[in-house]
Amino acid sequence: MDIGFLAQYLMNGLMLGMMYALVAVGFTLFFGVLDVIKFSHGDVLTVGAFTALATYLGLEQIGVTDPATQILVMVIVSTVLIGGLGAVIARTVILPLRSAPPLNTLLITLMLGTVLREAVRLFYPEGGNPKPFPALLPTDSVTFGNFNLRLDNVLMFGAGVLVIVGTQWMLNRTKLGLAIRAVAQDEETAKTMGINFNLIVFITFALGSALAAFAGVMNGLYYNEINFGMGLLLGVIGFSAAIVGGMGNLYGAILGGFLFAALQTIGAVALPFASAYKDVFAFAVVIAIMAWRPTGLIQEKVSDRV
Amino acid sequence: MSNSSETLLRVSGVYTAYDKADVLQDVNLEAQAGKITCLLGSNGSGKSTLIRSLLGLTPPNKGSILFDGIELSGLPTHKIVETGLSCIPEGRRVFPKLSVEDNLKVGAYQEKDNTVVASRLKEVYDTFPRLADRKGQLAGTMSGGEQAMVSIGRGLMGAPKLLLIDEPSLGLSPLFVKENFNIIRRINERGITIFLVEQNVHQTLAISDYGYVLSKGSVVASGTPSELSSTKEVHDAYFG
Ligand SMILES: Nc1ncnc2c1ncn2[C@@H]1O[C@H](COP(=O)(O)OP(=O)(O)O)[C@@H](O)[C@H]1O
Ligand SMILES: [Mg+2]
Repeated sequence: MDIGFLAQYLMNGLMLGMMYALVAVGFTLFFGVLDVIKFSHGDVLTVGAFTALATYLGLEQIGVTDPATQILVMVIVSTVLIGGLGAVIARTVILPLRSAPPLNTLLITLMLGTVLREAVRLFYPEGGNPKPFPALLPTDSVTFGNFNLRLDNVLMFGAGVLVIVGTQWMLNRTKLGLAIRAVAQDEETAKTMGINFNLIVFITFALGSALAAFAGVMNGLYYNEINFGMGLLLGVIGFSAAIVGGMGNLYGAILGGFLFAALQTIGAVALPFASAYKDVFAFAVVIAIMAWRPTGLIQEKVSDRV
Repeated sequence: MSNSSETLLRVSGVYTAYDKADVLQDVNLEAQAGKITCLLGSNGSGKSTLIRSLLGLTPPNKGSILFDGIELSGLPTHKIVETGLSCIPEGRRVFPKLSVEDNLKVGAYQEKDNTVVASRLKEVYDTFPRLADRKGQLAGTMSGGEQAMVSIGRGLMGAPKLLLIDEPSLGLSPLFVKENFNIIRRINERGITIFLVEQNVHQTLAISDYGYVLSKGSVVASGTPSELSSTKEVHDAYFG
């Protein structure tokens, strides 16, 4: 196969991997602090993408047409509002269900996801149809043979790297990150250190949800189209990526996200006659990995105490 | 109890239960400022439950916990800690995946001033030079004795008025147990009031100013160490 085609596939894989990683990091954060799996996470991403689109349309209405301003405002409005939505979900759904069996949380967040998805479909004007998402980033490109490197892709990928590195830095280098890690390891002892547990939970859910909104905007900019069901597959993939990487582990989630995209890409390259099966291929490999390493690729080894 | 010293903690009529199991029944006790007060009692008598009640982890159903003039019952744990309480929990409970230094820093979570945190950190490292040598190590990979140092150091990082210590000698070698009691005495000499929960009667009474005996969730005896060591209840509580 032509090297240019391969480079194109690689670029596409990196873009997808970044989106999956952003979603997976949310799953892993939620699981870290509360040991819950929030199945509405993918649909929160959808709401984020639609919030950004609505913001864009609003900006057009009031005559703000500079693309750089538009995209900045869209990202800020979407991540802030969706962060707020995440905190509200934590406050009203997740925390009250803590004393219930985990299966209940699973079921209720699954239903919440349906509510969010259907709300977008029913309440967003003509929400049942795919919506064009504006291409706001500069689309200049350089071509090497069959490989077309687009500036917008590079910018998006760079922004994704910054967001993930920033999240990583926050978790490992700031006092807030220290509190999140302490809560994740031992909730009760963290409380006795003077940490406001509920507040940390709200912040963590806000953060994870904002990351999903960011991934949603990225998805819209990449495909120039969004639809009310977009979060379903992204949610399942992000969840699988977090599990494969080792639930609760930040690096595992990132690794899992890119691994899944790599598998899809390999599937598409290796099965050119049937690239529709790339997801089947990727999920099959994920199942095989889980059978081989049931607790994920990055295992935590701290329990050997003296 | 002498009247000259001031009461820092007053627990009155406290009842605490887990879901359905009633544990504490009408517990009344006090801790005097600057002193070491101990709570003795056999396994399962409710000592840790009392600590949990003080910290708001298992809030009492009834009764009052007055600390430094503030009613603690009903407050969330982080607000209780804000009033000047800190604890060295049963089983040490270090954060296994945090480094030693991060474990200590999280102990000073409510201190906003970084220079204050740094000076407290230095104090802890001076007390436990071994921790300074291993500040980057994950606490979960340390020995029991070292984890005990981390847990004590972390408790001190909050610069508490009252330090609650729950069975510090549990699971430690005899040599380290002895060292632990010396450390507790030295902490107290720095002006920190101590409420010490223990099963180790003799060494505990040797460093305490006043003590209580808990049995089946109620205080059955109290007095100075010399009074308690000759009390029938102490023997009953442990050997009865
Ligand atoms: N989390 C809990 N849930 C239910 N019962 C508990 C719990 N923790 C302790 N208990 C019960 O409360 C009683 C007192 O326990 P505890 O306070 O731990 O005693 P001690 O610290 O004196 O050994 C015991 O009967 C114990 O079984
Ligand atoms: Mg106990």
